[in-house]
Amino acid sequence: MSGHNPGLDMTTLSALSEPNRKHIVELLRDGPLTVGEIADKLGIRQPQASKHLKVLSDNGIVEVKAEANRRFYKLRPEPFHSLDSWVNSFRRIWEERYDNLENYLRELQSKEPLPHPNNNPNEEDLQ
Amino acid sequence: MTNNAIVSRVENENVLVLERVFTAPRELVFKMFKEPEHLKRWWGPRGWEVPVCTIDFRPGGIWHYCMKCMDQNQGDFYGMESWGKGVYKEIDEPNSFSYTDYFSDAEGNINEELPATDIVLEFVDLGDGTTKLVNRAVYASGDALKTVMDMGMLQGISETWDRLEEALQAAK
Repeated sequence: MSGHNPGLDMTTLSALSEPNRKHIVELLRDGPLTVGEIADKLGIRQPQASKHLKVLSDNGIVEVKAEANRRFYKLRPEPFHSLDSWVNSFRRIWEERYDNLENYLRELQSKEPLPHPNNNPNEEDLQ
Repeated sequence: MTNNAIVSRVENENVLVLERVFTAPRELVFKMFKEPEHLKRWWGPRGWEVPVCTIDFRPGGIWHYCMKCMDQNQGDFYGMESWGKGVYKEIDEPNSFSYTDYFSDAEGNINEELPATDIVLEFVDLGDGTTKLVNRAVYASGDALKTVMDMGMLQGISETWDRLEEALQAAK
């Protein structure tokens, strides 16, 4: 399955598992904010907010954009795309498997039809 | 060819549920998952074959398999081997079984860098000779999955397949 894994990075997951950082990501969904605004909204000190932003930035989850003399933090879409792709590739792999299974079951049953699903002590014979 | 569409939804924020109905009795569908000779015939996704599949079907037992890409049209994936390792947890034949799915190598060493997934498969006898298979996959990080969902990036799952292809190309 790793052949179908488009670069999901576990550090993305672990960086988001800290509650304050998750909060920051949720706040930034509504648009870019400065570190001061983030600290205010979360009710934490600015140095703490900076520390969390650094972890998020190191993991490629947020980026800084300078505007006039202020620095705005905003979300980068890439890590979320790769999480999204992971979920979708998982689903697609199973869908392809199930298509195969459906066809295989048809093949098996056309060779040797079962008398009745609930009354078939000798189903080992199907092998 | 196939009439029974797959249905998917998310439960409890971190469980991805896939459902599909098969035209076969429950015991037979269950058997498809526990016997290597059967699994080898369908376990590989499109273009992928299963040259190796060993199973010790009991709680704590190991399921070790290799999927190999045999489709030249899949570009860099062609010839690639992908090893997986499942560790069975609970088995209640023919109703359900659960396992943890890991990425591994040919020796069965687990790759800790890639996410493990807890999977529960439930086989529901619908009568009339059909079986509903419910696949519940619990993600390592529910928060992360919820964040993705919240950000509205899962809308129209089928549409995003095209983007997946792009992501796969980009990831090469």
